[in-house]
Amino acid sequence: MKNAGALVGFLILIFAGTLFFQALSYDYYSDYGPGPGLFPLWLSGLLIVLSIAYIIDCYKKNIIQLKDVLPKGEGLRKIILIMVSLVVFYILAPYTGYSVAGIIMLMILFIKEYKWYWGLGISVVVTFVLFYTFYSVLNVPLPVNSFGL
Amino acid sequence: MELLTGFETAFTWYNLLYCLIGVTAGMLVGVLPGLGPTAGTAVLLPLTFGMEPISAIIMLSGIYYGAMYGGTITSVLINTPGEAASVITCLDGYPLAQQGRAGTALGVAAIGSFIGGTLSIVGLALVGPPIARLALKFGPPEFFALMVLGMTMVVGLMGKSLLRGVIAAVIGLNLALFGLDPVTGAIRFDFGKMELMNGFDFVPLAMGLFGISEILSSAEAKLKAEKTPKIQGLFPRRGEWRTTLSAIMRGTGLGFIIGLLPGTNSVIPAIMSYSLEKKVSKDPSRFGKGAIEGVAGPETANNSYAGGALIPLFTLGIPSSPTIAVLLGAFIMHGLTPGPQLFQKNPDFVWAVIASMFIGNLMLLIMNLPLAGIWARITLIPFKLLFPIILAIATVGAYSVNNNMFDIAVMIGFGILGYLLKKVDIPLAPIVLTFVLGDLMEGALLQSLTIYKGDFFGLFTRPISGSILVLSIVIMVISVWAGVKNKKGALAQDVEM
Repeated sequence: MKNAGALVGFLILIFAGTLFFQALSYDYYSDYGPGPGLFPLWLSGLLIVLSIAYIIDCYKKNIIQLKDVLPKGEGLRKIILIMVSLVVFYILAPYTGYSVAGIIMLMILFIKEYKWYWGLGISVVVTFVLFYTFYSVLNVPLPVNSFGL
Repeated sequence: MELLTGFETAFTWYNLLYCLIGVTAGMLVGVLPGLGPTAGTAVLLPLTFGMEPISAIIMLSGIYYGAMYGGTITSVLINTPGEAASVITCLDGYPLAQQGRAGTALGVAAIGSFIGGTLSIVGLALVGPPIARLALKFGPPEFFALMVLGMTMVVGLMGKSLLRGVIAAVIGLNLALFGLDPVTGAIRFDFGKMELMNGFDFVPLAMGLFGISEILSSAEAKLKAEKTPKIQGLFPRRGEWRTTLSAIMRGTGLGFIIGLLPGTNSVIPAIMSYSLEKKVSKDPSRFGKGAIEGVAGPETANNSYAGGALIPLFTLGIPSSPTIAVLLGAFIMHGLTPGPQLFQKNPDFVWAVIASMFIGNLMLLIMNLPLAGIWARITLIPFKLLFPIILAIATVGAYSVNNNMFDIAVMIGFGILGYLLKKVDIPLAPIVLTFVLGDLMEGALLQSLTIYKGDFFGLFTRPISGSILVLSIVIMVISVWAGVKNKKGALAQDVEM
């Protein structure tokens, strides 16, 4: 599919359709008044109608081509790095603790921009400042490893 | 009297410190391109978890109005608005800087922002309590109608296309359905995940939609740090004072009135003030070439708007912009319910926050007049250093909401969603506004339907709710007409703040 708007429209349609079918399983009205299904059924139904109208609009009037909005070159590389760093952090943090996962996440982002020792230095400082602020000052139980980091 | 008690609380050393931290963070958010006030407030919100509610809201409000000051500096010095409301300042601020009068532009903007910001807080203190007293008489139908009006104005005024605005608003409402039904307590759309039993948390959602998506967009845009011109002479020439002060007073009134309307944003008063100044000027040809009123009016208007826009939040519990929606989320997180009862139940809180805004505006004036040069140097911080740090703060912040990794996944997911929606011109502001209002709106509607035994048209039989609903329909019809005739013009500029 080359039409970016329509692609997003289809994703919204799938989301709305899922909610609509799920909403059918809730009570629409009960003896005491409106049930938990009333609002979801109407709103997901409305979103289905709107997403179809949007898809039609994207094909007929406001055509946004995928190639025009997709990032290219340096921009694409940065976006991929950001996504990879976040996913790596998400996977690693429960096992390695916040500090190690945080340093790796920042290193992924700094590695191409600064010399490795600068990147490592900034990553360590930023991670430990945040760790200290949230873990020790704000008492947030961040995931830690066997070294307590 | 109550305001004096508020000053007593606001003047405690720790509240002064939080106010200073808030306005400084706001200035930073405003100065640094690539991070708007909404994203900044959302990302820093988790830092307030351990705080007293008063201190937390004092700090977060500081970020909100502080950003309005900060955005001016980059507009004037490097022709790049730090936040959306300062776009219009580039038109005359940058030419002034090129003429060697950057200091005057920044000085006038700081004085205007202080006067506009302070007078609008006076307005909030005067107008807030009577509106809250009136709103106490409102029942569920009136609140439902008010929320419909707010949403209608959001989708009607924001975004280039009505259809896209409505889709965004309905996506937000659908997302608010996840978790407990506000009336029956039934659990909906949990898809077998325990973490979804309470629905999506507001903080990771807002951080993702505004923070992560903004970082992704900025990473693509190749933001570069630019060298700034020297700043000298912060005040206008003797002959310019009169026109400057007149522009400031007009901007104050305009910004405050527009702030009262739900669904507006800070760009609207800035644009309107600029065109007003151009209209009343004896020589409109000066505009765009360095007219001092072209900086004074809009900068005053957007700061005055910031104070005015707090009135619907404090008195009705309705956010008028995405940043205010984040503030509403912060209120709820700290156990406060914004709305008419806030003035009655938590007067200490309300008046302390209002008093802190006077102090915060004074702090910002000091920061901006003698220290403008220092802030200008901050614009030299490269984005490649800044965005990884913001990401690190966002991840730890999202985790700290419920102390689980699921919220980080939610933040990443909504970050990608926000990035995709921006690409296809679907505005993000209505999503976050309707998400925040979704639960309240459903509760008010279901209670109203129970009162009228399932008859929706019963809401039209009450004078206030009926009038507001009719007004909403009229606004929607006008928006559709404007969309068809392509007459949305400047107000339709899609702004994410």
